[in-house]
Amino acid sequence: MAVSTTTLSIGGNTFSGHLRQWEPHESKLLKKPRKHFRWLCLNELHLPRFRTKTSNFNPARGLLPSLHAYGKEADDAFLSNVNEDTDEMFGDLMKKYGKVVYRKNDRKSQSAELDDDAESLSFAVAMAKVASEVKAGDIRVLFVKPLVYWTRFFIICTAFSRPQIDAIGSKIRDLAEKKYGKIPTGDTKPNSWTLLDFGDVVIHIFLPQQRDFYNLEEFYGNATQIELPSENQPPFRS
Amino acid sequence: THLNVADNSGARELMCIRVIGASNRRYAHIGDVIVAVIKEAVPNTPLERSEVIRAVIVRTCKELKRDNGMIIRYDDNAAVVIDQEGNPKGTRIFGAIARELRQLNFTKIVSLAPE
Repeated sequence: MAVSTTTLSIGGNTFSGHLRQWEPHESKLLKKPRKHFRWLCLNELHLPRFRTKTSNFNPARGLLPSLHAYGKEADDAFLSNVNEDTDEMFGDLMKKYGKVVYRKNDRKSQSAELDDDAESLSFAVAMAKVASEVKAGDIRVLFVKPLVYWTRFFIICTAFSRPQIDAIGSKIRDLAEKKYGKIPTGDTKPNSWTLLDFGDVVIHIFLPQQRDFYNLEEFYGNATQIELPSENQPPFRS
Repeated sequence: THLNVADNSGARELMCIRVIGASNRRYAHIGDVIVAVIKEAVPNTPLERSEVIRAVIVRTCKELKRDNGMIIRYDDNAAVVIDQEGNPKGTRIFGAIARELRQLNFTKIVSLAPE
């Protein structure tokens, strides 16, 4: 404690010198009084002068690396106080003036979003129609936009054999490319769970066991379903 | 490395054996497939301890950098067990998943993940 008072009176240079002596001995014990000391420093010295003091002694001294961390830790204690104050300051300013200064123009307007939704919906329904032509079973179109941020619609269908998965996949790909010019990322080889990702619309093609195993409908149970014009319902082969 | 498992496939902890994709590759990042051995498993599941399986890394403590300058860092290392075809073995994924997995053709994992 006596040591700290001496440094308080003297100033920047001697302060660092004393630190070097403290460091190897009781570093933990002196952490608390050092913080205290810093706080007193704040009250006494004028703020900008205090700042320049720290910027001066840190690089100029060639201190031990652990000493660096020491100084930084005390600095953080000081800075956190500043952060709280600035937050309050900003809050007050916002209340006073409260204007939107900068808005990121990432968000489309409501009407534009709805148009996009309608477009994706028509695309999804067209895909579903193709799937039903190839006799895929149990086709569901789910509107998952409120739940999931990375896509708009899910189409889930069941194919009863691997060649059928292949057929559905290729038909959907061809139609998408011809009519809409969209190329899907996703599985190229037929898989027991084949996925075709068209950006806004994701198409899942399952084998019956996989569909039960993963049970996506349950996972996305909150998504609203879209009614499909069901022309030919194929007999469900189990 | 030891990784947590982020799905309900039955494994709890994996140890990475190899990074798939290039020979002599030192580190794997998010979205890489690794070969791992199960170090700890939940009882009464199809996966047993000391079984060699493949997994996809979904979370790392090392930062992931995006092109727009965003850096994402998680608090743990986690992976999702997949099979030879790339289908996840579990039915649900736990925890946050980065968007990059979608670009790397792991949309299945992303579609099973919450939020």
